[in-house]
Parts: sequence; structure tokens; C-alpha cells
Amino acid sequence: MLALVRPDSWNFPLFLHVLGAIALAGSIGAVTVLAVATRTRRAHAALLSRVAFRTLIFVVLPSWIVMRVGAALIADKEFPDKTPGWVDVGFVVSEPGLIILIALGILAWASARRGGVGRAAVAVAILAPLYLAALAVAWWAMSAKPGG
Amino acid sequence: MDTYDWLLFLHVTGAFLVLGGAVMAGIFNFAALQRERPSEIAVLFRLARVAVIAIGAGMVLTLGFGLWLVHQVGYGWGQTWIVLALVLWVLANALGGIGGGREKRTRQLAERLASEGDAPSQELSARLRDPVWLALSWGSGIVIVAILALMIWKPGA
Repeated sequence: MLALVRPDSWNFPLFLHVLGAIALAGSIGAVTVLAVATRTRRAHAALLSRVAFRTLIFVVLPSWIVMRVGAALIADKEFPDKTPGWVDVGFVVSEPGLIILIALGILAWASARRGGVGRAAVAVAILAPLYLAALAVAWWAMSAKPGG
Repeated sequence: MDTYDWLLFLHVTGAFLVLGGAVMAGIFNFAALQRERPSEIAVLFRLARVAVIAIGAGMVLTLGFGLWLVHQVGYGWGQTWIVLALVLWVLANALGGIGGGREKRTRQLAERLASEGDAPSQELSARLRDPVWLALSWGSGIVIVAILALMIWKPGA
């Protein structure tokens, strides 16, 4: 029961990591809802695609940075030598995840430029929920700690 | 994975739904504040209902599995962080519930104005910037973040 014995110095990095991860999941959830709505509410596609792009730039990317910095700090303190498998799951999701986020940002920019119509808009509506699902796998690994 | 691991996963899932939903609602509300056309405000408020569903489901999960975890681990029911978290959980629900009611009335006004010509309205603009509504909505979010801090620092454990 880690929670019972966690040293005080671990608390702030853990808080930072969890808060960043939750803000990341919530903001990607918002991008998912906006991207899907862009396809179903054509009259407002231009507005919704712009909000999706701005959310990616101003909320999703900063949240990813907070989550990742918190992860590095807490992993250094908790596992200075070797990280267990459940921590590695988190890194596997977060690091290639940045590439997916950059791709999402480019696609969302292209979608916003074209008023929320076209292939870029479809790609955002597919990629955003996939990334949200990958985050769900990471939060399962971080909280249930399989094999941990 | 043992019972504790599953309970913690489900409790954390609830926290993700509550706080993630709050972030989502904040994004839609902030975007609505930047708009003037009632139809645009209405569409953003309608999307915010997804966040409301996530927050509601998350509130139930966090409380249910949180109480089960307290019993499972053997924390004392009178420990400061548990009592404070329960008080703040009730407060967050109260603030969010009152703020949500105001938000619903604002959405209904936006929908009515959208169907009546979709012209910018002083009344709608004033409701969107109502300091009481903003304080309730953002206040409930701050309370939820405070609960997260309690879960991590566990004062009095």
C-alpha cells in the first residue's frame, strides 16, 4: 500500500503528474467531442474546428508537459534504479503520444483553416478518441499497477 | 491484481471523469464566453452536457469506491483527510448543481434567441458573464482540485 508509506517529498510531483494527466484526458475528451460535433453539426463546423485547434494548443499540450514533468520527477524519486512494467506502460503511452499530439495539432490546424470540413477534420475525429483510449490504458496501468 | 488494485483503479477512473469533465466543461464555457451569436453559444453549451454526464458518473464512482477503499484499507473514518474530502465532495456537488441550473437556463435562452433571428443579445451576454454563475462553476472546479490534493497529501493519515 504505497499510499500509506509514501514520503512527503513525493507528494508534489505526484500531484503535478496526476493533475496534468487528468487535464490532458479532459482536454483530449473536449477535442474528441468537438471533432465529432464538427462532423454532425455542419452549420457550426468552422467554429467547432477552431475551438478544437485552440484547445490542443492552449490546454492539451501544456497539460502533456505538466503530466510528463511530474512523471519524470516522481519516477526519479520512487524508482531511481529500474522502473517496473506498469511505469513503462505510462512512458510507452506518453512519449509516442507526443508525436500523436503533434500530428493532431497539424490536422486540427488544417481542419480549422478549411472551416471544419475535409479529410483533416475526419482524421481529427478518428485520432483524438484513439489517443483518449491510449490514455485510459495508461491510467489503468498507473492506478491498478498490474504486476507491480 | 487484488481487490485493493481494482478498487483504486475504479476510484481513480471516477476522479478522471470528475476532473476531466470539469476541464471539458471549462473549455466549452470559456469558448462560449468568446462568442456573441446565440446559436454558437447554444451549440457549445449543448456539447458541455457530455461533460456534465462525465462529472455525474465520476462523482458516484469516486464516492462509492472511495468509501469501499477506506473500509478495505482500514483507514479510520474520522481521519482529517477523509472527513474533509467528504465535506468538499458535498460542497462541490452543491456548487456544481446550482451553477449547472443557471447554465441550463442560459442554454435555453441561447436556443430561444437562436430560433428568433440569432441576433446578439445584451441579456444573454450578461448571463454568460454573471459573476455569481462564474464563481459557482469555477469554484466547484477548485473544490474538486482541493479534493485531489487531499487524496495525495492525506493530512492526518
